[in-house]
Amino acid sequence: MTDIATRDKWDAAAKSFDLLARGDERRFGETKRRFFAGIRGKTLFVAAGTGNDFKFFPPGHEIVAIDISPKMLERAKLKLGTYAGEIELREMDVTALDYPDDTFDTIATICTFCSVPKPVTGLRELHRVLKPGGRILMFEHVRSHIGPLGIMQDLMTPLTRRAGPDLNRDTVGNVRRAGFRIRRIENAYLDIVRMIDASKEPSAASP
Amino acid sequence: MWFAVGDYVAGAIVGAGTALAIHAAVYPGMDMVVAMLIGMAIGMVLHLVLGFLLAPLLGMFQTMMPASLIGMYGGMAFGMRDSMGAGSTEWTSSALVGAAFGILVVLALSLYDRALKASIIEEPE
Repeated sequence: MTDIATRDKWDAAAKSFDLLARGDERRFGETKRRFFAGIRGKTLFVAAGTGNDFKFFPPGHEIVAIDISPKMLERAKLKLGTYAGEIELREMDVTALDYPDDTFDTIATICTFCSVPKPVTGLRELHRVLKPGGRILMFEHVRSHIGPLGIMQDLMTPLTRRAGPDLNRDTVGNVRRAGFRIRRIENAYLDIVRMIDASKEPSAASP
Repeated sequence: MWFAVGDYVAGAIVGAGTALAIHAAVYPGMDMVVAMLIGMAIGMVLHLVLGFLLAPLLGMFQTMMPASLIGMYGGMAFGMRDSMGAGSTEWTSSALVGAAFGILVVLALSLYDRALKASIIEEPE
């Protein structure tokens, strides 16, 4: 069942999303392109947003892009042409995926698990639909371990959560809790914006 | 290159803006603890406003993270200073010290960022 509150929040954010994301898109664009060059085979892109990131994926792949917000997807539809490959858009909640076990070779997320209210449930669902040996590539912002910054993120989160994401998520820990094996973590900005490369072990059963 | 320049300009704007707003709100002789709390509150609100205005140009994270430190910790320091009536008592000098504080915070974070980018965590099989 779709989380209505989350859907409504992101529907409301859809109108101003591109404007606010413009700076990040320019700053992190090349880093994202390099990171997502690791995409292989059938790919699930979680939280497509307004489709700003389609152009950073390597060409020629079969990608299913989901989002909980229909308003975001309306805008993403207009950007399908920015990707040189096949993208199917679907409205879906990451905590209740409409796919059988072991469906995808790769899963990609960009600033997604700062916003999913039950992140470990969502990540477990991704673990379920990822093929054994498959990879999850996550470009996410997380809580900093730098004292003053982490404190600020904790203080700001009750405010930012109302209209957007949480700032203080322990996404690396959540990825482990969901049963993935972390292969590599790279910082894109301080220790706040991070690229997490994890995998589902070939022998792993979904937790 | 332009992003780097923009980061420093943004830091200076947030620092000067915070210092001026606190200079207007805190008077010499005000209880220092109260002044510190007022400074922190003003800094936190102001950094959000200025941060959101600058984020579409410079990026949300690179704007908001330094701005949050400048607003909160700078706000407390400027509040204390103004309650003591010490140091920068003029508007111009207050703005200049605020801008310098903002630039220093941006510099510190950019050095930290450079160091952290080099550290890649790889977990063995």
